[in-house]
Amino acid sequence: MCNACGNPAAPGHWTEAGAATPGDRLRARFHRARVLDEILRPYGLMAHDGGVVPGIQLGNRAGASMIVENLTELWAEAERLNGAPIDPLDARYLDGF
Amino acid sequence: MASDARLRLTLLGGYLGSGKTTWLRHQLHAESFGPRVHVIVNEAAETPVDDALLSGAQEGMTLLAGGCCCCAGRGDLVAALRQLCDARSRQSSQVARLDRIVLETSGLADPAAIVNAIQTDPVLVNHIVIEETIVAVDALHALSQLATEPLGRRQIGAADRMVLTKVDACDPAALDRLRATLARLNAHATVSAAVLGDSVALPPLSPGAEVADLPALTEEDARGPITPTHLAVPPDLDWSAFTLWLSALLHARGDDLVRVKGVLRTPAGRLLLQTVRKVVQSPEILPDQGASRSDNSIVFIGRGYRPEDLGRSMRRFLSPTRPF
Repeated sequence: MCNACGNPAAPGHWTEAGAATPGDRLRARFHRARVLDEILRPYGLMAHDGGVVPGIQLGNRAGASMIVENLTELWAEAERLNGAPIDPLDARYLDGF
Repeated sequence: MASDARLRLTLLGGYLGSGKTTWLRHQLHAESFGPRVHVIVNEAAETPVDDALLSGAQEGMTLLAGGCCCCAGRGDLVAALRQLCDARSRQSSQVARLDRIVLETSGLADPAAIVNAIQTDPVLVNHIVIEETIVAVDALHALSQLATEPLGRRQIGAADRMVLTKVDACDPAALDRLRATLARLNAHATVSAAVLGDSVALPPLSPGAEVADLPALTEEDARGPITPTHLAVPPDLDWSAFTLWLSALLHARGDDLVRVKGVLRTPAGRLLLQTVRKVVQSPEILPDQGASRSDNSIVFIGRGYRPEDLGRSMRRFLSPTRPF
């Protein structure tokens, strides 16, 4: 991450492909944070993206909160907060808890 | 990334003695990789042989001997690649400069590990695009290798393109059996054939060709065999939700998912998506070729899950609030 401009030093994370203009990118970030928040709720986690600083805010109900740079980091942090990986193939998740 | 000026890298892998060097030597002679190509040869053995055979590369050759670059020799590989990138960056983009690197791995290398090494290096990821993984497959011995060697199966799983070598010496029925088996292990890779590097046409695969019965290997028996699963993606795909799903899936199950590959239609165009284990290559926007059949379909090659769960799980992520 460049200190002065906040631009990532590496080419964008793969999940950010598919949005070509700055407007699209911002819309995609807001939308992604909303969907992510829904997905994490059953695990007691919350996600938020204000669109101002790079990164996604991740937190839990106990007040822990951090900013992660991309989705790869996000799932690693979510695993740490949750105590186990958020596994989309977990039978409990598939059956809707 | 239409104006992508990064170096292209072709990875050439394949089991020991599968004919990698012979094939590459011919391709260099025929300039199949273009005029400005640099070849890196890795040999696990201390005494190199292959370098003598590969002097045809226009932009020179680097030899990395004494350590397989997917494990022990990884540092050497990264250093050699950085040096090439550095030399290229010093040149003006107006002059004819290096276009491509072909990396011939040792026969003991797992291509996925090399892709991982390049993609996780902060310098190389900005300078190099891994374009294709080509795996040479020995038509005579591949079946017996696949039956006993987990490494051989990993190499097949990592391929985008398989080149069957020594097909002239192979019995047609055995060749059919091998092709059917390869298609089972890696359905998305294209298959071609070559004799001493010269490509030869393959006859259509006879419909009755049976798949060889590959025994489960000790390294992978607990999680079941590696199988491909095709997943159709809805045409009105929510790309953001999809990336959430796939990134979570790779985080939780990346070691079981050997390969994910597919073409998705997104608002930005047709995206080629591919992963090797936990590493996702930056998606490439493909030119529009009309309604192509392979669009919006993804192949997952892996194990340790029920194939039908993939679809259920994806649909749940795409509509998290909707009850099922």
